[in-house]
Amino acid sequence: MWHWRSSRTLIIGTAMLVFGLCSLLPSLYVLVTALADVDGLSAMLLDARQRRLLSTTAAVGLGAMAVAAAAGVPLGAILARSSLPARGAIRAGLTAPVLLPPYIVALAWTYLAGHSGWMSGLPAVAIVLGLVLYPIPMLAAEVAIRGVDARLEEAGLLVATRSHVVRRITLPLVAPQILAASLVVFVLAISDFAVPGLLGVRVYTTEVFTAFAALYDFPRAMVLALPLLLLCVGVGSTASMVMHAAPTVGRRVTRGSSLLNIPNLAAGVAVVLVGAAAIALPGAVLVNEASGVRSWSGVVEGSAAAIWNSLLLAGVGATLVVMVAVVIGYAAARIGARAARMVDTLLITVFGIPSTIVGVGLIALWNRPGPAGSIYGTETMLVLGYVARYLPVAALVMAAAMRHVPVSHEEAAAVSGAGWLRSAWCVVLPQIRLAMAATWILTFILAFGELGVSLLVAPPGESTLPIRVYTLIANAPSSQVAALALLQAATILIPVALLGTLAASRWSEP
Amino acid sequence: MTPPHLSVQRLTKRFGSHAVLDGLSLDVSPGRLVVLVGPSGCGKTTLLRVIAGLDLMDAGEVWIAGRQVGAAGRMLVPPNQRQIGFVFQDLALWPHMTVEQQLDFVLASGGIPTAARRARTQAVLALARIEPLARRHPHELSGGEQQRAALARALVGRPQLLLMDEPFSSLDAELRGAVRADFRRLQREAQVTTVFVTHDRDDAAALADEVIEMRDGRLTGSTLAATREGPP
Repeated sequence: MWHWRSSRTLIIGTAMLVFGLCSLLPSLYVLVTALADVDGLSAMLLDARQRRLLSTTAAVGLGAMAVAAAAGVPLGAILARSSLPARGAIRAGLTAPVLLPPYIVALAWTYLAGHSGWMSGLPAVAIVLGLVLYPIPMLAAEVAIRGVDARLEEAGLLVATRSHVVRRITLPLVAPQILAASLVVFVLAISDFAVPGLLGVRVYTTEVFTAFAALYDFPRAMVLALPLLLLCVGVGSTASMVMHAAPTVGRRVTRGSSLLNIPNLAAGVAVVLVGAAAIALPGAVLVNEASGVRSWSGVVEGSAAAIWNSLLLAGVGATLVVMVAVVIGYAAARIGARAARMVDTLLITVFGIPSTIVGVGLIALWNRPGPAGSIYGTETMLVLGYVARYLPVAALVMAAAMRHVPVSHEEAAAVSGAGWLRSAWCVVLPQIRLAMAATWILTFILAFGELGVSLLVAPPGESTLPIRVYTLIANAPSSQVAALALLQAATILIPVALLGTLAASRWSEP
Repeated sequence: MTPPHLSVQRLTKRFGSHAVLDGLSLDVSPGRLVVLVGPSGCGKTTLLRVIAGLDLMDAGEVWIAGRQVGAAGRMLVPPNQRQIGFVFQDLALWPHMTVEQQLDFVLASGGIPTAARRARTQAVLALARIEPLARRHPHELSGGEQQRAALARALVGRPQLLLMDEPFSSLDAELRGAVRADFRRLQREAQVTTVFVTHDRDDAAALADEVIEMRDGRLTGSTLAATREGPP
């Protein structure tokens, strides 16, 4: 009789079921299967090659983390503590690399290196991934530095030099957030499959892919996935714990001390240097390479089906992800603080699971006789892959947005006679509609560039734009590949730039 | 003797091992304005939330207009069916709705036809003296105007019980006096039974038919306001 709660329970339960089936079950299946294969596991642990793989994978992660932090943290400080003009536009521009599929940036660097071969090997992978992922520590550093109360720094400035205050007061306060963001970079770097593959470095993701797609050795793929899975889960959960353990220094009253502002000249030089290395140079190389293409319309026509497929599937995937993420985000925002931390940790950890492992898990679950088999071999698998990969991060964003809607708003609706559904529809959702739109765009971008799962689960004959670009790298003239890569980058960045401009003009209205 | 409109019997509410409300009983006659006064953390807000059905109780009973709405660990009547008006401490005005839309939302939730909703909304806006603000969003209102809007929203559905959780705490002294007078007038005109919690004794002295002291989850004493009229 008590519809107020029962409708909520039903909807949240359904969303949890989707999360469990799509995002958790594939990886759990891989984990359990790998652990059950005792012979394969013990053989692998004794294998020197496996130990080399582990050290190379960890080195890629640590290298990318170092490059990303070295580029991102100073930029975050500049965005928070300089008076550079048009900082909003600078921030948007500097964030662009993380929106692009990493293999496009890697492709540009390989064209730049030409046949000299200096753009290969482990350092190259770390540099490329670092230059793609630096916006994560950059944004984390900016938010953390903006959150430091000026009074804390000013109390130090009364008795110590500026550099001493920065080292002893500001940095310790913002270090946990920066460390957590760097650990996220580590997880994303060791999860990447395309860049090491393109630059000829053997890491776990490429090995899992080769074992499954080239050698058809499914048990080996499962066993190989285990160390990577454990590493990602361990680091991902550590990142979440570090983030939550960040010191609370009281309510921020004013922005950081103006005495610690960064001079505009130094700030400008840093922005230009990183912007050139991460955006301008790769972009210019791709444009230069693509200028050799004979007919742009021919390039577009040749890949029209893949482009359309990518747009459609990414759109469907993003819509499904947002629908489920809103509900999970709501549940995560309305439970107790300790449970919310556990949910956040779970979501961050699941998001860090590499795409090749998710792909192998999805195949293991769906490639079987019966109703599951009728789905396997269709484009639905690609949508399931997008949901599996991006539902956790979308749910994290939605939970953060939901936490800004006071519970009292819902309670006011409830005592006003509204049932839960009406309250959710009329009171909660309108307050988070911008966050929902942003999450849809983020998910669409990620799904549009997704490669690791797509390569594994795409049905025969079906192709998305990332698959087409990746397969053409070895089989087509570089001008055509560069043209397609530019097309893919433009499809991602132009709508984001337009929406950003629209949002900026709307917010600047009086 | 008139039976109580609100009756709370032996109410206990615990958070962990700590009893925030400890066997508390309270009766409020129809149309009365009872002010609960007590220090922060004494359980005032929790009591209102349990009465409204926003929190479950561990022991006791809650009756509104002769109907049992809550029992130990059970929600006999959900909040949206208790016909309660609630003014929250932070007012909880929905930021994406105009004042008019906030009132309309309450009436639409009660299934009232559009024409009747419009008439009732206008009447309550007039009663609260905020008709010119009908098309404004909460962020376009001053503190006092927001208070009136929240009160109008709480009253528009003709609640059988009005609960107010320190609604004037964010106002300065001058504005507080004006809003207090407006609220008292509205409460009298609506003839709605009201429980008002505050830690401010000036609020209590200015508003109450009866002031009840609260401490450590219990009621410790009651004072009838001598100078005010009895229940309407």
